[in-house]
Amino acid sequence: MSQMETQTTTGETEEQIRDEWLEYDFEGESALSVEDLDVFYGNDQALQSISMDVPEKSVTALIGPSGCGKSTFLRCLNRMNDRIDAARVEGTVEFDGENIYDDDVNLVELRKRIGMVFQSPNPFPKSIRENISYGPRKHGDIDTGLVARLLGRDDRDEEEELVERCLRGAALWDEVHDRLDDNALGLSGGQQQRLCIARALAVSPDVLLMDEPASALDPIATSKIEDLVEELAEEYTVVIVTHNMQQAARISDQTAVFLTGGELVEYGDTDQIFENPQSQRVEDYITGKFG
Amino acid sequence: MPRESYQAQLAAMQEDVLYMSEVVIDRLRLALEAMAQKDEDAATEVIDGDDEVNDLYLELEQDCIDLLALQQPVAGDLRLIASSFKIITDLERVGDLAVNLGEHTLDSRHDMFPEVDIHAIGDLTVEMLEDAMAAYEARDDEACYDIAARDDELDRLCERASQTVVRDLIETELDADDSEEEVEALMQDVSRMLLTVRDLERVGDHAVNIAARTLYMVENDEELIY
Repeated sequence: MSQMETQTTTGETEEQIRDEWLEYDFEGESALSVEDLDVFYGNDQALQSISMDVPEKSVTALIGPSGCGKSTFLRCLNRMNDRIDAARVEGTVEFDGENIYDDDVNLVELRKRIGMVFQSPNPFPKSIRENISYGPRKHGDIDTGLVARLLGRDDRDEEEELVERCLRGAALWDEVHDRLDDNALGLSGGQQQRLCIARALAVSPDVLLMDEPASALDPIATSKIEDLVEELAEEYTVVIVTHNMQQAARISDQTAVFLTGGELVEYGDTDQIFENPQSQRVEDYITGKFG
Repeated sequence: MPRESYQAQLAAMQEDVLYMSEVVIDRLRLALEAMAQKDEDAATEVIDGDDEVNDLYLELEQDCIDLLALQQPVAGDLRLIASSFKIITDLERVGDLAVNLGEHTLDSRHDMFPEVDIHAIGDLTVEMLEDAMAAYEARDDEACYDIAARDDELDRLCERASQTVVRDLIETELDADDSEEEVEALMQDVSRMLLTVRDLERVGDHAVNIAARTLYMVENDEELIY
């Protein structure tokens, strides 16, 4: 028996994760540094001692079978799990020199800087323009209200500029620039999802977390999102959960493979993971032999 | 195991590559026997049989393309298909070289250069090719290095054979009453023998290519490719 395997109580051999499978050397800075992250839902442990650094301004894909904890991990990166009463998180996630799980962290500010895009497009039932400007208005970054207008502090030009910049950033401007006051719910699914990305960009985030952002879209809309993700990585750090392994292979710079039990089994350059994974379990998963 | 039909297609593709190699090695062996026995019928059989090799090659090429396009293979599966894709090209070329040997046999007049042991060289190439395909079948990385090492021995034998032929030519004393046709025929014998040696040396190169792709397939090791 090799050192990679141990005997289980049922007599089967089980592969042990090796440290070198998780050592990912990359050039540049980390946007996020995760250290010994454990997540429990009640008595169930959803993530087991996850440690990994996410390189800035690149695309990091999280893949793995259903229930492996990849979405849980994504939600830990901007403390979305705080919203689940039974969830308990241990360990640290360092962002901009601070542990985001420290007590004094401002969650509104954190989620402004680490935005999230969900599986199903969820635009506000408002106009396209208002979907973009809603966040910055709430944060007080732009003011177009009546009082501001009366007091001569009207940021209407700034709002126009912001809306155009964000819609261009999300590759949606050309399709909607002549109907910015139309209700966003009238857009197609793919357009709605790009609007949600534009909305996330409006508050000038550093990191964008995406939870299967294209799984509800048709192939053309999917390819637009994929192109967009690659472009976004020039300015933002993107972490994307996907069930579509070809999508992970196409658009990500590095890939982290989670397997059942909430373990991070292998993390490395995407081409290395898809051409020559070190772990037999990862090989079996990505070639479709299990999962 | 999920994707059973895909796994079955991969296994079938590998079986077919092995079958193609058996056909090609049989042709090479027959070409060498035809050369040893001056058997023109056998030489013609080798030449006529090349269509079968080409058909097998095209069929397998299509199978590999289909697997790539429809199954999006990754990791070990991807390396198996990529390696097989390259290996069938090497096998097809070996088939062409067997045809060359058959043509040399039909063209040759008599037993020239008896001091050159062309059959020993031929046997070595067949052995290398068989071992390379056995390594592919068994995913044997050690055997791949062994085949690459044996190619050095083959190259030495081929170089020595070529030198023998050239020295023989230089030492041949032509009589003044030798006809122009005689001289021309001698020149053709020499060039045919040199081409035979070169063709066999190339069979060895293809065996090494197969070993190199097999090593990549098994270990993701590109050492023998470059």
